[in-house]
Amino acid sequence: MDLDLPPDLVDFRDEVRTWLDEHAPKEPRPRKSQAVREFDAAWQHTQWEGGWAGINWPVEYGGRGLSLLQQMVWYEEYARLGFSGIDCFFVALQHAGPTLIVRGDKAQKSAHLPLILRGDEVWAQGFSEPNAGSDLGSLQTWAEVDGDELVVTGQKVWTSFADIADMQELLVRTNREAPKHKGITWVICDMHSPGIEIRPIATIDGDAHFAEVFYDEVRIPLSNVVGDIDDGWSVAMSTLSFERGTAFTASQVRLNETVEQLITLARERPGPDGRRPAIHDEELARRLATARAEVAALRSMTYAGISRNSRQEMPGPEGSILKLFYAELGQRVYRLAVDLLGPELVCLGVTTGITDWQHDYLGSYAFSIAGGTSEIMKNIIGERVLGLPR
Amino acid sequence: MDFLLTSEQDEIVSSVNTFLGTELPHARRRELLAEGAVVDDDLWRKCGSLGWFGLGLGEAVGGVGYGLTEEALLFREIGRHLAPGPYLATVLAARVASGPQQSAILDGSVQVALVAMQRADVGADRVEGSALVYDHRVADLGLIVNPGGAALVELARFSETTPAPSIDPSISVATALAEGLQPVAYVSGADDPIFVRGAVLVAAMASGTAEATRDLSAAHARSRVQFGKPIGVHQAVKHACTDMAVRAEAAAMQTFVAAMTLDNDRLDAAFQASAAKVVATDAALENARAAIQVHGGLGFTWEHDSHLHMKRAHLLDHMLGSRREHLATLIDLPPAQ
Repeated sequence: MDLDLPPDLVDFRDEVRTWLDEHAPKEPRPRKSQAVREFDAAWQHTQWEGGWAGINWPVEYGGRGLSLLQQMVWYEEYARLGFSGIDCFFVALQHAGPTLIVRGDKAQKSAHLPLILRGDEVWAQGFSEPNAGSDLGSLQTWAEVDGDELVVTGQKVWTSFADIADMQELLVRTNREAPKHKGITWVICDMHSPGIEIRPIATIDGDAHFAEVFYDEVRIPLSNVVGDIDDGWSVAMSTLSFERGTAFTASQVRLNETVEQLITLARERPGPDGRRPAIHDEELARRLATARAEVAALRSMTYAGISRNSRQEMPGPEGSILKLFYAELGQRVYRLAVDLLGPELVCLGVTTGITDWQHDYLGSYAFSIAGGTSEIMKNIIGERVLGLPR
Repeated sequence: MDFLLTSEQDEIVSSVNTFLGTELPHARRRELLAEGAVVDDDLWRKCGSLGWFGLGLGEAVGGVGYGLTEEALLFREIGRHLAPGPYLATVLAARVASGPQQSAILDGSVQVALVAMQRADVGADRVEGSALVYDHRVADLGLIVNPGGAALVELARFSETTPAPSIDPSISVATALAEGLQPVAYVSGADDPIFVRGAVLVAAMASGTAEATRDLSAAHARSRVQFGKPIGVHQAVKHACTDMAVRAEAAAMQTFVAAMTLDNDRLDAAFQASAAKVVATDAALENARAAIQVHGGLGFTWEHDSHLHMKRAHLLDHMLGSRREHLATLIDLPPAQ
């Protein structure tokens, strides 16, 4: 065990901090989709120009090829400026790009990787369907080979940024006879293709980040298939070896900042008795202190996870423990924000700095749903960590 | 930066585990409980000869020369095995005593009880007030540990020592009174943060307990068959076990980070220690509660260990500062580094 960053990483942190201070956007990120795209694309382009695009991508593909600890430092500094790291380039940088790097052919790589890094190509994920959520393997969107094309008909749902995306990593069924995980194909779908209809779905925070996507005989060249026909499940899983828990550092730092902001607010604002600062209210003070303790534990678990992942080929199921702990803790923290900010948050809305508390509170309901529900995380932990029967 | 155990640290864990597994199997612990003797003096001296009481002390004074991190590893196993005895106060007292007294503590010929004093006056020259003494039946000396300092006292000098019905049958408790009592040794918190060290070690025992109840429950959920299936297939049971795994992981990781923080002389050592104490004792209590539930009727029996973990967790929750005190510390301190 060793708590200290080695000296070269301390220097690296200074380099990152200086660069981010000079280049990161100072204005708050917009909400509406087209403006979001312009904002995120401009920022991604700035990172590319500065040599900071694709920090976890190998150098031969234009990435920065940082070590796990360097990535961790990058995300920490990144998050301190108020970025969560989850913007409309998230799928391209963390999922589709890495998948192409591991399983794509030469033409696929050169067609997309440079555009992603430069901030010119936004990707969406086309995985979930109305009847294939947690049970992704039972997806039914059908693709038939016709000459040198796939003809896709079906529906996807919960597709984030579908309305502003250029490309989609699309999972389709190409074989109904094979066992369900053996009849799926991973294909690059151009979101501007004829036959695609996108219907944005408004979310509980009033934004429309995700959408239903309908495919009516959408024709995709076979050259867009990544890996082999019917081998898409293994292609989809191949990015798992890329995800080493470093990007999660940003979420952890953001939650820590949120708790610290709440403590500052509790010192400045009157408490439930209307006279003394909220921090003097025993119940609120105790819950704030507990949140501080639990965020400290979250941080310790995050770093332990990165250490673990630097020692093993494939990240283990322990990552689910971290995600579950984060989801539950994050929701407790925002519930605490509601109780601290009281009727003002609920009725009037409270904004401090770039934080809109009502909006962020509503967003916290997604923590235990997005990226695998907490129930599924619990099944994974129970079965793969504790060895409980299925 | 690396948050995993080194191979040397792994070895400490496995040797402690083997030793406690051999010396204190379930049957032997139950024998000690039935005798009411609680601590086996021979075993205590063996622990002394293994260097357990001076793991984190320098070799110049007869210690092993490791840090708080290694002590935390030892105490996690002590918690896991429900080892009875005043390990905590003995290890901390070895930092307060000096000369022959220190040697006697280190080699296991003297045991030190933890003494909790509230609304008391504890200083280098004088101890005054009412006390709660843990393990009073087995120990010769007592250690009072406050954030301001740690005072070593002779238990015989307390008056009105009255045994009390401790919830944990393997830790005896007595109330007592100190009137103008003179400590035999005193170390201020500024010279050695013994209170912070102690809080981390309590967190370590709590984290061991939380892991033990997690493992007992998972094993039961795998093997107990009802309606033709192991009960662990049901999500109501599976998810209860999962929650235990999450709490145990949080407790262990935060405890080790707190220990490393102090070993590295960082400014946020007290913050990290209080966070560890809060998270780990909560994990110990919640996991023990869940373990009793997952075991059904068996969990409510005296014979099963679940209740001993639950009872131990309650005492750990109060040792070296209550939850309430640590939460107050956490809100007052500047944020973690």
